[in-house]
Amino acid sequence: MTVQVRARDKDSLARFLGWFSLGLGATQLAAPRALCKLVGADGGGSVPTLMRLMGVREVTQGMGILVRPRPTAWVWSRVAGDALDLSLLAITAAKNRRARTAFAIANVIAVTIPDVYESRFLTRTKGPLRSGELVRKAVTVNRPRSDVEQAWAAAADLRRKVDEAGGTARFAEAPGKRGTELIVEFEHDPPAGDLGAAVQNLTGKDLATQLSDDLRRLKQQLETGQVVRSDSTPSGHLLADHLSQRAARPLEEALR
Amino acid sequence: MKATCWMGRNTVEVENVPDPKILDDRDAIVRVTSTAICGSDLHLVDGYVPTMKRGDIMGHEFMGEIVEKGGGVTNLNVGDRVVVPFPISCGGCWSCQNGLFSLCENSNPNARLAEKMFGFPTAGIFGYSHLTGGFAGGQAEYVRVPFADVGPIKIENGISDESVLFLSDILPTGYMGAEFCEIKGGEVIAVWGAGPVGQFAAASAQMLGAERVILIDRFHYRLRIARENLGVETLDYETVDSVPEALKELTGGRGPDACIDAVGLEAHYHGPAYAYDRVKQAMRLESERPFALREAIMSCRNGGIISVIGVYGGLVDKFPIGAVMNRGLTIKSGQCHVQRYMRPLLERILNGEIEPTFIVTHKLPLSEATRGYDIFKNKKEDCLKVVLKP
Repeated sequence: MTVQVRARDKDSLARFLGWFSLGLGATQLAAPRALCKLVGADGGGSVPTLMRLMGVREVTQGMGILVRPRPTAWVWSRVAGDALDLSLLAITAAKNRRARTAFAIANVIAVTIPDVYESRFLTRTKGPLRSGELVRKAVTVNRPRSDVEQAWAAAADLRRKVDEAGGTARFAEAPGKRGTELIVEFEHDPPAGDLGAAVQNLTGKDLATQLSDDLRRLKQQLETGQVVRSDSTPSGHLLADHLSQRAARPLEEALR
Repeated sequence: MKATCWMGRNTVEVENVPDPKILDDRDAIVRVTSTAICGSDLHLVDGYVPTMKRGDIMGHEFMGEIVEKGGGVTNLNVGDRVVVPFPISCGGCWSCQNGLFSLCENSNPNARLAEKMFGFPTAGIFGYSHLTGGFAGGQAEYVRVPFADVGPIKIENGISDESVLFLSDILPTGYMGAEFCEIKGGEVIAVWGAGPVGQFAAASAQMLGAERVILIDRFHYRLRIARENLGVETLDYETVDSVPEALKELTGGRGPDACIDAVGLEAHYHGPAYAYDRVKQAMRLESERPFALREAIMSCRNGGIISVIGVYGGLVDKFPIGAVMNRGLTIKSGQCHVQRYMRPLLERILNGEIEPTFIVTHKLPLSEATRGYDIFKNKKEDCLKVVLKP
């Protein structure tokens, strides 16, 4: 079998530029005066308002890049934004002649280069849009294939979850008589692109996260007859609970 | 019940906590009769192991009596005297069935956390941070022991607690460190660290047929205990300019055949290099101070073996990989697969090949655990090993 790697149109550079826009824009909106100071502009009059407007522009571009599967126009809009930023900074430099403005210009140029590169790259990308990516979660269970198939058949909730996501499950003999591999694959294509994926990830609601819990628990059931629990994880392995655990000491009577 | 709890960096207190109960079929509750403070507990106290929570019960070296058991535990009975190995192992996964008990694939309910840190998860461990499962530890009056049908070993005769207690961790750990050295007879083995694990590694190297064992430390009382009880050679590293140079001259210009690092991430050193790593560690730019490991690598003979049983948790700086590669060194390491060694080592204790009690310098009631941690950590009162009695 050939290992399938399904590449998305949006590579890591485009995603980086999207998050960069979002981060910079949020800062411009939240602290316009501090940023004016940073680039050597006067913080009075309508200048902070202009900084805020530029912030709105950056946030819009960032969301556009992150949400669209092939954000060619949005990355080009970053190039246009860079040109606008550079001309505003040139006016500031002519007026105030501060070293900080020169430093800001250098920084904008530094990001203009990847902007132009990525815009040209996306413009050359042809063919149908590829927005989703193939996610594969696999576990090896030290049991004969028939046992694992039976357990899978019995795990109705888990199967429904995979079905609803249009996913597939398959089984394979693990090499070297190490039991059975259970492989679940699905196409991950959240409605709001990378932005949606990030939100799902943060809440632990995405299928990939849930599957990493579910498959681990299925393996535990098959190999040990139970879901393993400790004093700080009374419900067993749950990724969403990893960061908010109770102390490792016996449970109070009420919690058992 | 009373239990020794981690209450923040450098704070260990004996607290009142709820008694443990059976949660699963294969659990047992052990009433602890003896428990020990391990050198690796100090890494937790000093705050070098992440994911500790205020109130965590500490301790992974303990033994006692079974007072309650689940229906799935058929090989032990209530009233049995048992030593409990520190890794929690299910016995059913591929790793357990291949003797890799500390790499059990199922026993860590925080597997994903460990996976992010180490690439793949490791087994659950009693009282050893949430990275290893968040299990309550054994420095307490009672402990819940999961998979009690796999780990604990029954002690049948009237042999003293102190003679068998160290089967839970440090004796097998020291032994595994020596076993890594592939001793066939006639070797020279150098051991960094004359703490309890280093002492047992040196003793095991002798037991396996090493011709010379050189134990390296700076605390004279620890080196004296080793000379008097094991008859090994000792080297005070503060009296030499360079440990690798000293070892080279002590071994006819060859270097030791294998080097055991029984120190781990909080090594000490004299000279400016110590300041360098100490500062980087304090700024969290590296998580370890790997002096012993660097020295072990630079000292070992060409084609020799580096055995790492001292605990490391993260990333090191200035790691001499060039020496490892070009001189054909082999690095072997791991948390001990205790279950693999308990029975054969119990045999060796029973037939008098090794008497582990020589390391015990302090026996304290559990209520004095805070003082126990203080004297062990700060090497007060010539402390080498503290046994606590609940």
